[in-house]
Amino acid sequence: MAFFLDLITNGLLVGLMYSLVAVGFVLIYKATSIMNFAQGDLVMFAGYIAAVMLGLKGMPIWLMVILLCAGMVLLGFVLERGILRPMVGQPLVSVIMVTIGLSFVLQGLVTIIWGGSTRELPLPVRVAPYTLGPALISPINLVAALIALLFLLAFGLFFTRSRLGVAMRAVADDQQASMIVGIRVSRVFALSWAIAGLAAAAGGIIWGNMLGVDRLLALVGLKVFPVVILGGLDSIGGAIVGGLIMGAVESVASGYLDPYVGGGTKDFIPYVLMILVLFIKPHGFFGHETIERV
Amino acid sequence: MINRESGVFQTSYQGDMAVYPLPLAKIALGLTLAALLLVPLGLAGNDHLLSILNTIALASIGAIGLNILNGYTGQISLGQGAFMAVGGYTAAILSARYGMPFWFGILAGGSMAALVGALFGIPSLRIKGLYLAVATLAAQLIIEWTINHVPWIGGGAQSSIYVDSPRLLGFVFNTELRRYYLILVFFLLAYFGAQNLVRSRVGRAFIAIRDRDVAAEIIGVNIFKYKLLAFAVSSFYAGVAGALWTYYLRIANYENFTLAVSVEYLTMVIIGGLGSVLGSVLGAIFIKLLPIALDLTVISIAKNVFGISYENVANFLANFQLLVFGALIILFLIVEPEGLARLWENVKRYFRLWPYSY
Amino acid sequence: MQRWRGFRGLVMAGLMLGMLGSPALADEIVIGGQCDRTGPTQNVGTKLCPGVFDYVKLVNKNGGIKGHTLKYIEVENAYKTDRGVEAYERLKRDGAVVMLDYGTPIVYALTPRHLEDKIPGLTPGFGRADSTDGKRFPYIFPVAASYWSQMGAAMHHMKAKGGVKKGSKVAFLFYDNPAGREPLNIFKRICEMEGYECRDFAVPPPGVEMSSQVLDITRRMQPEWVVTHLFGKAPSISIKELRKNAFPLEKVVSLVWGAGEEDMQVAGWDTAQGYLGMQFAGVGRDFPVIQEIMKMYQDEKQEVPEHVGSVYYNRGVLVSALIAEGVRLAIEQEGLPMTGEKMQKSFERIKDFTLGGFLPPLTVTPNDHEGGGWVRLYQTKGEKLVPFTDWFQGYRDIVLDEVKKAEKAEEKKP
Repeated sequence: MAFFLDLITNGLLVGLMYSLVAVGFVLIYKATSIMNFAQGDLVMFAGYIAAVMLGLKGMPIWLMVILLCAGMVLLGFVLERGILRPMVGQPLVSVIMVTIGLSFVLQGLVTIIWGGSTRELPLPVRVAPYTLGPALISPINLVAALIALLFLLAFGLFFTRSRLGVAMRAVADDQQASMIVGIRVSRVFALSWAIAGLAAAAGGIIWGNMLGVDRLLALVGLKVFPVVILGGLDSIGGAIVGGLIMGAVESVASGYLDPYVGGGTKDFIPYVLMILVLFIKPHGFFGHETIERV
Repeated sequence: MINRESGVFQTSYQGDMAVYPLPLAKIALGLTLAALLLVPLGLAGNDHLLSILNTIALASIGAIGLNILNGYTGQISLGQGAFMAVGGYTAAILSARYGMPFWFGILAGGSMAALVGALFGIPSLRIKGLYLAVATLAAQLIIEWTINHVPWIGGGAQSSIYVDSPRLLGFVFNTELRRYYLILVFFLLAYFGAQNLVRSRVGRAFIAIRDRDVAAEIIGVNIFKYKLLAFAVSSFYAGVAGALWTYYLRIANYENFTLAVSVEYLTMVIIGGLGSVLGSVLGAIFIKLLPIALDLTVISIAKNVFGISYENVANFLANFQLLVFGALIILFLIVEPEGLARLWENVKRYFRLWPYSY
Repeated sequence: MQRWRGFRGLVMAGLMLGMLGSPALADEIVIGGQCDRTGPTQNVGTKLCPGVFDYVKLVNKNGGIKGHTLKYIEVENAYKTDRGVEAYERLKRDGAVVMLDYGTPIVYALTPRHLEDKIPGLTPGFGRADSTDGKRFPYIFPVAASYWSQMGAAMHHMKAKGGVKKGSKVAFLFYDNPAGREPLNIFKRICEMEGYECRDFAVPPPGVEMSSQVLDITRRMQPEWVVTHLFGKAPSISIKELRKNAFPLEKVVSLVWGAGEEDMQVAGWDTAQGYLGMQFAGVGRDFPVIQEIMKMYQDEKQEVPEHVGSVYYNRGVLVSALIAEGVRLAIEQEGLPMTGEKMQKSFERIKDFTLGGFLPPLTVTPNDHEGGGWVRLYQTKGEKLVPFTDWFQGYRDIVLDEVKKAEKAEEKKP
């Protein structure tokens, strides 16, 4: 039983971190209908900036965080303007391809600028666990989950309470109507990429600490897909729920199934789950059901 | 003036529906075929160039298959690598374990892949768009895991199976040149097969599904059957390509067919042009040749113009190539989102009126 | 438009020159190598490959081998098989008489070609474990402990110095791909023989998530020792995860590709204290050959790069030195012009090659292309790796037996 509890807690904590990356993806999709295959690479880029800044002597963490967030927001603006603006109106597949090309560019760029070695992203949290009765609690997991939770709450508040957030939701719902009402759609697009950059910054710090910062950090972007599919491509709440479910299922399934099948179930169990869910709900748990017209 | 259509009159339905109605096109086709057959003979000793040609040809077959699914039927698929793996391992098992000849292995590999592809195509009945793409991603991962963990399929701990060079009536294909001709046969079959497929009834059904599947269903196109058929045909191509890879490398190893490979084929198809068989080939040439060309060009420029030797900047150069690769993809898509095939169409259209401008 | 013309011309010229290749001078001996500097094992490649270059430079500076300079050409393969094949063909065209392969799947794909074209390929510390058998694979030379030998050595150390006895629990954490699974048979066999309670745990690629496996190991199984066999980012993550679950790293032995300084550094040096890593080449700068390389940099008034003396760099130097030794023997005993066949014969004549203590005495024979499978354990103390044991082998008889079994298994196929 203790083992099961361990697996679940671990899974949920990791799941929150998945949600953080997934939220960035969903944000962009909701506002602009673009599927950003480069979200993982944005996380990696943020991780690199964070690691490099922390490597400079005497850089306090809070300053690094502020600079990183500012930098990533700026990057989001630049990417939207430079690369995605010309692709407005192009077929979906071409846009996906552009984001894939973007991911190659980012990967090549970070290695050219900062070299191929893995860097560490040390956070002032101890690695050795606290014992709480039979359970071992790892402080770093807790801190990571807390950061993720904070960010997600902040996003939630932003979208429901602030004017800009409501405007974004309006654009996601119906672009034409929003333009009629007076919302500057192009500004909303830019803003959605900027916020996605912010989410990537948070993800970069957390994941960079857990996995070490190098080019392979971009692979967390791969995990985004089952999460957003489970939750629904255009639902932020869905991204959170999807992430939690994914993390828990992964952890428990591989903990119990691995010994029987020789390991490796962690990779495809989430996808099997996802396909099953899709059969019942083709747009994910909370996704928007599109009505097709002939 | 060159691509002239005036003066060419068709007097039969057959002539009207021909794939290449113009005499110029027929001549061009004949010349291209002749070049494909004869030029490599002149390259007989140059294994390096021949290996590049072989790689491109093999990639084209897979790309054509993916284009049928992606470009003509509109179903985004990220599982092409896995279906190639299925074909490759089937062929390897049949040849290495049961001694079947290579042509049987290739056909069986294609059929097996078609079956598996149809199986993973079943979700496409309910799911669309990105959701489907991720479902095919699931196929990629599940198939990889299966090959890795089921020793009967994967051949044991090393998950790879060696096969001998293909042989036909005592003739062994054991040089690059001979392998080239073997692959060429399949390439031509694949190419012209696809050309004919997309102009047939089946092909029109595919295009209908891509454009407006609800409307297609209303007018009587059986979506279920044709979607599965699209998956099956596309996977058949993938399986054949995978089996050929196995015979070419003489080993079946799933690490040659990973997700990165699937993404690579998707790139080929998109850059080449969705919905165009010629586009798939052009895309394959572009994607396969680009890293090699970059490799050779950048290194030799660095050495001869700047005097920088390889080792000092090796790390930089290798990643610079990756960056240039990504940047070229982005640039290309911004400039011509419909791919190389459209560029080729533009060239042909220009020459239709040349030297006049209107 | 004008400036584009110049640019295009430059690109075309570059492409032409590249396609023509660089013909070797009459006196040169061409060595080919592949490297992964942009792919999943780039953290190894970006250090190992400079090691090869540096040693070749050192040799050429000291007058070459018997007056002949070595020319080393490297081609990037990004750990992809089709690029590996193209790289092989390109190196062959440029006249390479011996090749350093990189990456286990690429070695698998190139083995038939090496045999056909009669060009030896070196696969130090990776590749096929059964290529130890030189009779089956005459043109493949592991020249360093294969995964089988590494596992045997790890098990031996646990028994000899780790207090493991019958009934003890041992876990094996490995990367779930063919290279990672290769030592599994040795692990299971030794466990059975010695009566240990063993379990193996697979980490799916890309090896960034193993929390549930490590939880299973540390909380459910609670073994005495853990053997890890991971690549890329996975080793550093395994160190952190094991530590998170309070497992003593002094009871963890990592096989050779999880034992680089970078892996400890990324996990955090304090986190990684006590971790035991297996090496097949010396670590650090305290060896005559490394000192010579450092002097070479200083003579050219250049700063000695940080990676000189690190684990992966030294492995590059090792393989380069072995190639140089092979070339030397070939010139002495076979004479020029150099061919792949002559290189192959002379590799099989390498005897007691230690390079000043950098290696254990390496002796390659037609039956043993591994050279004995010697390894050494280093422990992480402070911010360095210090030697923990001397050079040793383990369970050599079992390893050689498995090699024979692999041969028989292949003969059974039709």
